[in-house]
Amino acid sequence: MEQSQKTFEILEEAPVIELRDVNKYFGSLHVLQDINLSVKKGEVVVIIGPSGSGKSTLCRTINRLESIDSGEIIIDGVSMPDEGKKLAEIRSQVGMVFQSFNLFAHKTILDNVTIGPIDVLHKSRKEAQAEAMELLKRVGVESQASKVPAQLSGGQQQRVAIARSLAMHPKAILFDEPTSALDPEMIGEVLNVMTELAQDGMTMVVVTHEMNFARRVASRVIFMDGGKILEEGTPDEFFAHPKTQRAKDFLESIKRHES
Amino acid sequence: MSIYELLTQFGDKYLAALLTTWKLTAISFTLAFVIGIVITIMRISPIKPIRFVGDLYVQIFRNIPGAALLIILVYAFPYLNFVWSYYACVLIATSLLPASFCSEYLMAGMNTIGAGQIEAARSIGMTFFQTIKNVVLPQALRSSVLPMTNLLVATMLTTALASQVPLKPTDLTGIVSYINTRTVGGVTAFMISAFLYCATAVIIGQIGSLIDRKVRILR
Ligand SMILES: Nc1ncnc2c1ncn2[C@@H]1O[C@H](COP(=O)(O)OP(=O)(O)OP(=O)(O)O)[C@@H](O)[C@H]1O
Ligand SMILES: [Mg+2]
Repeated sequence: MEQSQKTFEILEEAPVIELRDVNKYFGSLHVLQDINLSVKKGEVVVIIGPSGSGKSTLCRTINRLESIDSGEIIIDGVSMPDEGKKLAEIRSQVGMVFQSFNLFAHKTILDNVTIGPIDVLHKSRKEAQAEAMELLKRVGVESQASKVPAQLSGGQQQRVAIARSLAMHPKAILFDEPTSALDPEMIGEVLNVMTELAQDGMTMVVVTHEMNFARRVASRVIFMDGGKILEEGTPDEFFAHPKTQRAKDFLESIKRHES
Repeated sequence: MSIYELLTQFGDKYLAALLTTWKLTAISFTLAFVIGIVITIMRISPIKPIRFVGDLYVQIFRNIPGAALLIILVYAFPYLNFVWSYYACVLIATSLLPASFCSEYLMAGMNTIGAGQIEAARSIGMTFFQTIKNVVLPQALRSSVLPMTNLLVATMLTTALASQVPLKPTDLTGIVSYINTRTVGGVTAFMISAFLYCATAVIIGQIGSLIDRKVRILR
């Protein structure tokens, strides 16, 4: 009994995403330096840091959209290979939401959401469509299902992109500045969807400049600069008592910007 | 001879020639289209030697004159123990050449897609071929309808190469020499063929812009 209890705890503790000593170079630029990061199930990790600090690159390496030069990336206990079918399979378990939405321009909203489940997960069209409509309802764009992306506002497109990720039943979703390309009045609707996702227990890694979102939703904040993780802590700790001068300066500059 | 006399005497021959040209065009374009897609996929393959072969194909067949290729196929290849019918030789020439242009147009069509959509496809877990099938090719095809229409017309004009070998029934260009060796058709015999080429091209152009309007991608 005690034994099984213990096993259960270990399983529960196993991170969904784990990066071990990850290093990456762009030519001579050392963009990711000895990154160690572990994201547990249900955690919302918000990555912040100045422009060029490597936040996007970190996000993209987790999905192997960027290769790494050394180290290891482990998704739900499985080490990510460099290429091949196995890589595609692991990728399908980690969703990604981009700054520029990246919906498939030639497909309807509904088809954008169903293509993954049909072609990658081999679900029937009927089942995929039923589920897609549920997801579109969840993110509030079900009335747009038969339109094409260009007919939707940015905020609507980004919510469709989130639905497209969810349709794959991912173990985690990565967000790279999901609201940075949006007009101010649309930022809220996307952040609301993300907040609900977090409350539903989705494991999330979010690169964002929305400090209020970080304060309210993050289980952990990571501060990056110059390709390194400089600080890591709860939002309360981090925003109230940043430890490094870099982080203090960064928060100051943001405050000046926001006021 | 007047147009009227030519048409009463050779009307059925012109009709057969028109059908031959249409048939050659249809087969050549279909083959060129398929080869063009394969070459294009090779050119964007993650594997370098495959990309190289694809690029080499385009470099060769974009820059070789049709007549030269036909001469090689008809006169040189038999020395290598490749003997094909005249019909096959013409089709090979009129398919391989347009295929390189087809690939060029598809590559141009792909440039409109943007890396983001391809990354989105990959992050959903699509493999290289799934990404090509679901995202890259459909968009490249839909945004290259007009160039493809022009290519279809160009392919039709290339099939005039068929007049350089003895074919039966002959094509629209061949019919002109056929008539002129028998009677004095003169330039009128040529004008009838030219008119049929033009009419076909106009029809192709109309259908092409109709399709383009229907499938154009809103961006
Ligand atoms: N494909 C690339 N090739 C070369 N250098 C790159 C490439 N992508 C990013 N970089 C460089 O790597 C560094 C980190 O870039 P990255 O996009 O990860 O920063 P970021 O923290 O996301 O910045 P931002 O807040 O501006 O989005 C930058 O100096 C950038 O110029
Ligand atoms: Mg970035």
